[in-house]
Amino acid sequence: MDKSRKKFSDIYDQCIGKIYRFIFIKVNSQEVAEDLTSEAFLRAWEAFKNSENPNSNNQKIDNPPAFIYRIARNLVTDYYRQKGKFQTISAEYVQMADPEPDLEEKAMLGSDCEMVRAALSNIKDDYREVIVWHYLDDLKIPEIAKILGKPEGTVRVLLHRALKAVRFALNNGK
Amino acid sequence: MSESELIKKIRQLSEIKPRKDWVLLTKSRILGLSSQPEREKVSVFTVLKGLFFQPRMAFVLPVVLGLFIAAFTFAQNSLPGDLLYPLKRIAEKGQALFVSEAERPTAQLGLANKRLEELAKIAEQNQTPKLASALDEFQKSAAVAAKNLKKPQKITREVVDETKKFLENKERAEASLGAVIGGEELDVALSQAVENAIKDLGQRTLTENQEKLLKEAKEDFSSGNLMGALDKISQMNLK
Repeated sequence: MDKSRKKFSDIYDQCIGKIYRFIFIKVNSQEVAEDLTSEAFLRAWEAFKNSENPNSNNQKIDNPPAFIYRIARNLVTDYYRQKGKFQTISAEYVQMADPEPDLEEKAMLGSDCEMVRAALSNIKDDYREVIVWHYLDDLKIPEIAKILGKPEGTVRVLLHRALKAVRFALNNGK
Repeated sequence: MSESELIKKIRQLSEIKPRKDWVLLTKSRILGLSSQPEREKVSVFTVLKGLFFQPRMAFVLPVVLGLFIAAFTFAQNSLPGDLLYPLKRIAEKGQALFVSEAERPTAQLGLANKRLEELAKIAEQNQTPKLASALDEFQKSAAVAAKNLKKPQKITREVVDETKKFLENKERAEASLGAVIGGEELDVALSQAVENAIKDLGQRTLTENQEKLLKEAKEDFSSGNLMGALDKISQMNLK
């Protein structure tokens, strides 16, 4: 395996779950999430290959995970724009890798998860991203600030507003 | 719902995970890799390396080679009937392959001489059990030498010297053993070779001294003194 392939393979292993989740929360479809995630990684790999090639004029990708998130975000936007699809809420696609709770607990957990997921899918993209990055991907505020190219204070405000937007969405049953 | 409860519920979304088989398949599709573990490429060099350069082989090969060389060296001093004697004969046969046609009579006479020396040694050391095989080796060797001497050829200084040496060794061996050791075929061949040499020299332009030596050689040969005749021929400084 050549060097750039090995590097991208590591990036893939590190990011695949996060990007899939990031997309799934928005599209709420396993099939669509898989398609868009593959497409995001395929585009990222093409760009990564070129950036690693010394003969290429392409700029080096400094932060591959952030770069893939950006591709994924654009793909989701394109998906809704082109297909004109509306988001449907369905709990059947939420995969729970976890230990097998009893049916009642599972139903409650699934239901709670689905409500939160649905609420997240209905808030602004900027809000959803900071919530996913901070609470699911465990990125620190400075890291998110770096990805967004905004001051840390702005990110904190964004995160606060994002949580408020989720609560609002949950309360209004959207 | 409090903020911490909300955050807790958000964190539960980390349970959303892609299918493992899809993850592997997608990776292999994107990177052009097999989902199976990559197999090591096998080259000719790898195979040869595996055959000849394994650590154990690297140790064993020089040891075997060393033992082989040592065995051949020790075999040079062996006598017929010894364990290593066949190795000595193999080495001699190997050397004979590289001898030219013109040098073959000298080489074969040389081998016949070696057999005589072995015979003399056995007789001197009174190693009776080895006598039979030593005599057998000598007769075989003498037969081959005779066969080569019968072929028409120019008598060189080397042939004369080896023949003289042979006659001396034979005399010594017979004296030690107190018996005739055979090899008459070679004696006849030698006699024939000396006769041919005298005829050949008679047709050449010779110096006064050489003509004198040739005359003496003829006389020795006529009287059956093969050694004397050869001695005169060797003094003629043949080229």
